[in-house]
Amino acid sequence: MKRTIVSTIAAVLCAACAMTAPQQAAATAPATLSLPVEYHTLANGLRVVLCADHDSPRVTTSLYYGIGYRVEPENRTGFAHLFEHLMSQGSRNLGKMEHIKLVQSNGGFVNMSTQSDFTTYGDVAPSNVLRTILWAEADRMKGLDVTEANLTIQKGVVSNEVRVNVLNRPYGGFPWLDVPQVANVNWHNAHNFYGDLADIDAATLEDAHNFFKTYYAPNNASLAIVGDFDPAQAMAWVNEYFGAIPSRPQPPKADISEPRQEQEKRGSKTDDRVTRPAMAIAYHAPRAETDAYYALALINQILAAGKDSWLYEDIVRKRGLTGEIQGTMYFYGSMFDNNGPSLYTIDLFHDPDQSSDQILKAIDENIDRLRTQTVDAATLARARVKMRAAFYDDLERNYGFGRANLLAGFALFYDDPARINRIEPRFAAVTPELIRETAEEYLRPANRTIFTVVPTTRGVK
Amino acid sequence: MRRIAMIVYLAGAAAALAQAPTKETPPAPGTPKNFSLPEIRRFDLPNGMRVRLMQYGNTPKATIRLVTQTGNIDEDADHVWLANVTGEMMQQGTPTRSAEEIARQVALMGGSLNVDVGMNETAIETDVFTETTAAAVGLIADVARNPGFPEPALARIRNDFLRKLSIERGSPQSLTEETIMRLFYPNQPYGRSFPTAEMLQGYTLDQVRGFYDRNFGAARSRMYVVGRFDEAAIERAIRRGFAGWKAGSPPAAPVVRPVSRPGVYLIDRPGAVQSTLLIGLPVAGIGPNSPDYRPLMVANAVLGGTFMSRITWNLREKNGYAYSPISYVAVRPRGAYWVEDADVTTNMTGASIKEIIGEIDRLRAEAPSEAELRGIQHFLAGQFVLFNSSRGGIAGKLASLDTYGVGEDYLRNYVQSIYAVTPADVLRLMQTYIDPAKLAIVVAGDRKAIEEQLKPFGTIAE
Repeated sequence: MKRTIVSTIAAVLCAACAMTAPQQAAATAPATLSLPVEYHTLANGLRVVLCADHDSPRVTTSLYYGIGYRVEPENRTGFAHLFEHLMSQGSRNLGKMEHIKLVQSNGGFVNMSTQSDFTTYGDVAPSNVLRTILWAEADRMKGLDVTEANLTIQKGVVSNEVRVNVLNRPYGGFPWLDVPQVANVNWHNAHNFYGDLADIDAATLEDAHNFFKTYYAPNNASLAIVGDFDPAQAMAWVNEYFGAIPSRPQPPKADISEPRQEQEKRGSKTDDRVTRPAMAIAYHAPRAETDAYYALALINQILAAGKDSWLYEDIVRKRGLTGEIQGTMYFYGSMFDNNGPSLYTIDLFHDPDQSSDQILKAIDENIDRLRTQTVDAATLARARVKMRAAFYDDLERNYGFGRANLLAGFALFYDDPARINRIEPRFAAVTPELIRETAEEYLRPANRTIFTVVPTTRGVK
Repeated sequence: MRRIAMIVYLAGAAAALAQAPTKETPPAPGTPKNFSLPEIRRFDLPNGMRVRLMQYGNTPKATIRLVTQTGNIDEDADHVWLANVTGEMMQQGTPTRSAEEIARQVALMGGSLNVDVGMNETAIETDVFTETTAAAVGLIADVARNPGFPEPALARIRNDFLRKLSIERGSPQSLTEETIMRLFYPNQPYGRSFPTAEMLQGYTLDQVRGFYDRNFGAARSRMYVVGRFDEAAIERAIRRGFAGWKAGSPPAAPVVRPVSRPGVYLIDRPGAVQSTLLIGLPVAGIGPNSPDYRPLMVANAVLGGTFMSRITWNLREKNGYAYSPISYVAVRPRGAYWVEDADVTTNMTGASIKEIIGEIDRLRAEAPSEAELRGIQHFLAGQFVLFNSSRGGIAGKLASLDTYGVGEDYLRNYVQSIYAVTPADVLRLMQTYIDPAKLAIVVAGDRKAIEEQLKPFGTIAE
C-alpha cells in the first residue's frame, strides 16, 4: 500500500551476481540472467531463498507472509494493512518500534508493504547486520505483543495514512484503489483495500491476535536474503532463529476467482478539487503464470510504455490529447508480485474540452491494430529489449528489495524461486500470433472497465 | 551442517523456555566492512566541458548524465517555467532525428531519454545496456547541441504544462511549498514555483530558442558516465559528440537572498480532512561546502529527519496525529532551508504544531545523550553506504560534488565526519540555526475548523 513511497526511491545497483558484463560485445547476443539461487524449506515449512553477491557491503531481506488484503475479514476492510502496522508495535522480545530502531541504529532501514496476495517485511542494512535482522524478524514471527493503547494510536496513524494518500489528495485513489472496486465482482478483489475509516476504527485486539495466529505462521511465509553474505552462515542463523517456530494449520484458500467479463462496465467519481478530468481503462488480465500474461506485458511495452509506444506517438504527440499516458500491469510492485486476478490498466489526465469517449475512440484504434494484425518484427524486437531493461530495473530496484521480492514471491506462490532465471526465456518465447490472440481475448471492449474522474466547478484554477 | 545447527538451536530454545520471562537481547552486528569508492577518471574537453567516468557494479548497464548549469534560476519573473518548456522542446527532434526516432533509438538501447529541468541544473540522462553506451552518448550530444525546436510541437507542449500546472495546484503539499518558497525568497527565482496560465500560453518559439542559446553550452556542462562500459570507446564518443560544441556564455550570478518570515500563513481548503503543515526557516549558507553542513544533518536527524527521530516519534507513535512526518534540510546553492513536513488530523492541528515546537525547544535546551546520537550516526553512516550502492545514486552524488565545488574527499571522509559530531555540536547547531521565533508556519487546511487552533501561534496571514 505504499505505492508512492516505493516508487520515488531511485533505482539501485546489485542485480548482477553472476550476470556477466559483455564489455565490448556489440555483436553478440546479450547474456541471460543466471543468478545463484539456493533454496531450502525448513521442517516447519518456512521457505528460504539465498542469492548472494558481493557487489557492495549490503544485505537485503524480504519476508513474505501469504496474507494480503484480498483475504482480509469481510467486515474489516483495511485490516491486513492495519495489521502490518501492528507488527512494529511489539513482539516477544522487542517493544513498540524497537524493531525499526534496531535496524536503523545499525545503519539500515525497513520496507513494509501490504499487497493483494502477501504482506512483506523487508530490511536492508550494511552486511554485518544480517544476523541481527534475522533474529529480529524471527522474533516478530514468534509472537505479537500489542497493547490496547498502541492499537488505538495505530488506528490514528493508519487513518491519517488513508487521508494523506486518498481522502485529502486530488484524484486520491485514482486509479489504483478506485478501479478494482468497479471492475471486479468477487468481494475479495472488489472491496476498498485501504479500508473504510469506520472499519479501521472498529478493529479489536482480539481481531489482531486471531489474524496473527492464523496467518503469521512459518508454513505461510517465505524469506529471501540477497546481497553480501555467506550462504552457509546465513542458513545456520535462519535455522537457529526460525527453526523452532511451530507451523500451524492454514485455513482453506478462499475462492478469489473472477468470472469472464462479458459486458463493458463504467464507473466514475466527482472531485471538487480538480479542474482536469482523468480516465482509466482497465482490462481483466490473464493469470500470472500463463504465457498470455507474458504476452500482455509485451503488449504493454508496444502500446503504452515509454515515448516510443503507439499510444504516446498517437495520443500524446500526434493528437495532443494528454501529456503522458501509462500502462500498468500491477499497481503495487512488479508484474511478478501478483498471484491472482488482476487488471491491466491504462490511465491519463486530459482537458475538459475532450470527452472521455473521444479519447477512448482514439485509443481503440491502436488497440484494434493489435487485435486484428500481427505486429511486425521490428516492433516486437524493440518491445523485447524494453521488457528486458524493465526486468533488470525490477531486479535492481530499491536497495536489493526488487530482487529479494521476486525471489520471496516466486517461493511463496510457486515453490520455485529459480524461476527468476527463466523469466527472460518466457518473454523470448512469445510469438506475434500469441500477442494478437492475447489482445483479441483480453483487450476486448467487453472485458474492460472505463473509470473517470469528473471535476466539479468549484475546483482550484 | 544445517542439521547440527538446528539441534543446537532446539537445545537453546528449551533452556530459554525453562527460565521464562527474561527478554532476549538482539545479537550484536559483526564488524562493518569498509565502504570504498571506485576510482573516478576525470578529463576536460578544450571547450570547457568536464567529464567524469566511473566503472561501477556488475550489471551490464551504464547511466549517462549530462548536467548543464541552468534551470529555473535563469528565468525572470515574467517567464516562470520557460526553462521547463525549453527542456521539453529539446526532446522534439534534431535536424537528423525526429522525436519519434529519438524515442525508438533509445528504447532499443534499453533506456529512455529524459531532460530533467531543475532549479539550478538541467540534466539530460539515460540508463542503457553496456553495449549501446557509446551510441547513447552520441544521441545525448545530438539532443543537447542540435535541438530543432519544431514550431508545431510548441502549442501542444504549452497546453501539457497548463494541464500539469492545474493538477499540481490542486495538491495541498504543492500549495504549502509554493507559499514557503515565496516567503523565504521574495522576488527571486527560488521564490517562484508556478507561472500564471497567461504566461505559459504566451511562450513563443523565439523565447524558447533565446533561453536555449543563452544558457546551454559546453563550459557550463559536465558529463557523468557510471556503470559498466568500455572506457576508451566512451571517451572517443564523448570527444566526437561534444568537442565541437560552443563553450557558450558563463552562468549569470544567481540572485539568492533568503529572509526569515516568522508568522502563521493559512491556505484555506474548505472541507479538508487533514491539515498540511510546512514549518521552517532559511538556513542560508548551509551546503556540502560549509563546515556546519554535516553537523546540521546530524542534528536534523535527531530532531525529525528519520523514522526514529523525536518529532516523528512524537506525532506518529506517541499521538497518532500523522502518518509520515519528516523534517529535512533542503539544500540549494546559497539558499538552504530547514522544514518540518507533516499532514495531521484536522482537530489536532494546533496540538501538532505545539508538539513540533516543543521538540525543537527541547533539543535547543539539552544536548542529546551519547546513546541517542550514536544510533543516529550509525543510521546516517549506513544510509550513505546504501544510497551509494547504485549507478544512479553515484552519478547524482558525483554531480552534486561539482555543484558545490567540493572534492571527492568529501565522499571519502563522509562517514568519519558524521561520527565526529558530538552532543554539544548538536546543541550548538540547534541554537544557531533552528530558532522557533523565526519559524514560518504554513498550513493548508479547513479554515473554519482550524482557525481557533492556530491563534496561539500568531496572527494569521493569508
